[in-house]
Amino acid sequence: MEKEVMSSILLTLRASLWATLIALVLGIPLSFVLARRHFFGKKIIEGLIDVPVVIPHTAAGIALLMVWGRGSLFTKITGISLPGTEAAVSIGMLFVSLPFLVNSAKEGFKMIDVRYEKTAVSLGASPWKAFTSVSLPMAKKSIISGSIMMWARGISEFGAVVILAYHPMTAPVLIFERFQNFGLDYAAPATVVLILITLAVFVVLRVLGDRK
Amino acid sequence: MIQLDKVSKKYQDFHIQDLSLKVRPGEYFVILGPSGAGKTLLLEMMAGLEVPDSGRILGLENRRIGLIYQDYMLFPHLNVFQNIAYGLTIRKEGKQKIKTQVEKVSENLGIAGLLSREVNTLSGGEKQRTAIARAMVMEPEVYLLDEPTAALDLSTKTQIQRLILELHKKEKTTVVHVTHDFEEALAMGDRIGLLFSGQMIQKDTPEQVFNHPASKKAADFLGYKNVFSGSIKDYRMNINSLDITTPEKDAEKAFIAIWSNDIILSQSKLESSARNTFPGRVIKSIKRTNHVEVIVDMGVWLYVDITYQSYKEMKLRPNARIWATFKTQAVKVFLH
Repeated sequence: MEKEVMSSILLTLRASLWATLIALVLGIPLSFVLARRHFFGKKIIEGLIDVPVVIPHTAAGIALLMVWGRGSLFTKITGISLPGTEAAVSIGMLFVSLPFLVNSAKEGFKMIDVRYEKTAVSLGASPWKAFTSVSLPMAKKSIISGSIMMWARGISEFGAVVILAYHPMTAPVLIFERFQNFGLDYAAPATVVLILITLAVFVVLRVLGDRK
Repeated sequence: MIQLDKVSKKYQDFHIQDLSLKVRPGEYFVILGPSGAGKTLLLEMMAGLEVPDSGRILGLENRRIGLIYQDYMLFPHLNVFQNIAYGLTIRKEGKQKIKTQVEKVSENLGIAGLLSREVNTLSGGEKQRTAIARAMVMEPEVYLLDEPTAALDLSTKTQIQRLILELHKKEKTTVVHVTHDFEEALAMGDRIGLLFSGQMIQKDTPEQVFNHPASKKAADFLGYKNVFSGSIKDYRMNINSLDITTPEKDAEKAFIAIWSNDIILSQSKLESSARNTFPGRVIKSIKRTNHVEVIVDMGVWLYVDITYQSYKEMKLRPNARIWATFKTQAVKVFLH
C-alpha cells in the first residue's frame, strides 16, 4: 500500500514538472511578447490563458477530452490515444496551471524598463540576444516564482486530471478514491505523506529561490 | 554627416513633426527642450531603435553608436566589469582582449577600482561613468546622449560634463546630446537646436540662441523672466503705464523680452544714454545661489538680478523707491 502511495506521489510531482518545463519553453516567449507588444487580438489571447482560472476544472477536463479523447478527430487522424496516460495527466496540469507562470513572467517582463533592451541592442545585441542576456536574467525572480507556483498548482490539480486520467492515479485522485471507497481513516495517511513531501519540496525551493 | 529629412513620428504622447536637421562630422550638437518635447524619441530614432512614420534618417546606417541614458541603464545582474564588457562579449571577442580593453577604458574614466563591484553599490557619478565606459569600449563613431547628467547632483554633474567634453575633444566623435538644461546646452554645444512639442524651432550657436531666441516660448524656456506682449508704434511698446523703447520701429503684435541681468537698479534717476529708465517700488527680494532676484513694480513687474554686494549696499527693503534702467538693445523683440 505504501508503495502505491509513494509511486502516485512521484507520478504527480513528475507529471507537473513536465507540464512546468513545457510551459517554460513555450510560455516564456509568449509572456514576453504579451508584455512588450501591442497587437490585434492580444486581449483574446490573454483571456484564453486566464480561462482555466475562471471555469471549473472538471469542465476544463471535459473540454480537453473533446479535443483529443476517444473518438475525437485528433485520435482518428494520429491514431494516438491520450486518455489514461501520464501524458494526459501532464497536459491537463499544463492547461489549468499555465496562467500562473505566464502571468507571473509577464508581470516580471513588464517591470523591466524597455531601455535596458534598447541599450543592449545599441551595443550590438540582436533582439533575441538582448532577450536572453538581459530580459530573461532580469525577470528571473518572477519566472522562478511563477514556475514554483505553476508546479505546485499542477500537483494539487484534481478536477481536470480525474476526467482525463483516472489511471495512472495521481495523489489527489488516489486520496479521493480511498476516501470514497474506504473512508477517512484510510485516506488520511496518504494525505499526510503528500502534504509533508510537497511542503518539504516547496520550502526547499523557496529557500533556494530567495538565495539567488 | 548625420541628416534627418522631414522626420515624423507619433508615439504615445509624443509627436515629432517634419523635423529636419544636419549634424556635421565631429560636431557637438545639443538638442534643447522641455520634458515631453520628444527628445528621447528623436534619439532612439537616430539610434535605429525606433522607426520614423515618415521621413528619412541618413548617415547613421551601420555606424557604431554609443547610446547613453539619463538613468544609466546598467544591467543589474552584471557587475561593473561585465557591464562594460557587454558589447565586446556580444561581438565574441577573446577573453584577453576584452580584459585589456575594459581595463584601458575604465582607467581613462577613473573607475578602474570598481570593476568587481555590483552596479547597485555605485554612486550616481560612478554609474554614469560605467555607462559611458560601456559605450566607449565599442569605439562608437557617434554618441547619442539622453540627458546624461540629469540624475546627478551639481558637483558630479559638472565632473561628468567636463569628462564628456574631454572625450569629445580627444576622440573628435560626433555627439548628439539632448537636455532640458539650458546652462548645460550653452556650456557644451557647438550648436543648439531648440525642440518644442516635436518641432525644432531654432538651430544656431549657443550665443545666437541665447541672445536672439526665436520665439516667446524659446525666451521663456531660456529663462527670460521679463516677457511682455503688445504692439509697437514708432519704437515704443506701451505696457500699462510703461513706455518701453524697442529696437523695432513698428509691429502690430510683438513680444519683447528683457534679460534680468540687463537691468540696472539705482536709488535716483540715472542720467545716461539708456533710453529706458523708470521709477517704481521694490516688491520683494529673493536670495538665489549666486545672486539676488529683485522684483520691482514699475506699473508692470520687472525681475532684476543683482549681486549680493549691490543688494547689501542698496538696502532694498520692500516698498523702497527705486529706478530701473536698461538699454534699447537689451529689449529683444519677437514678431509673429
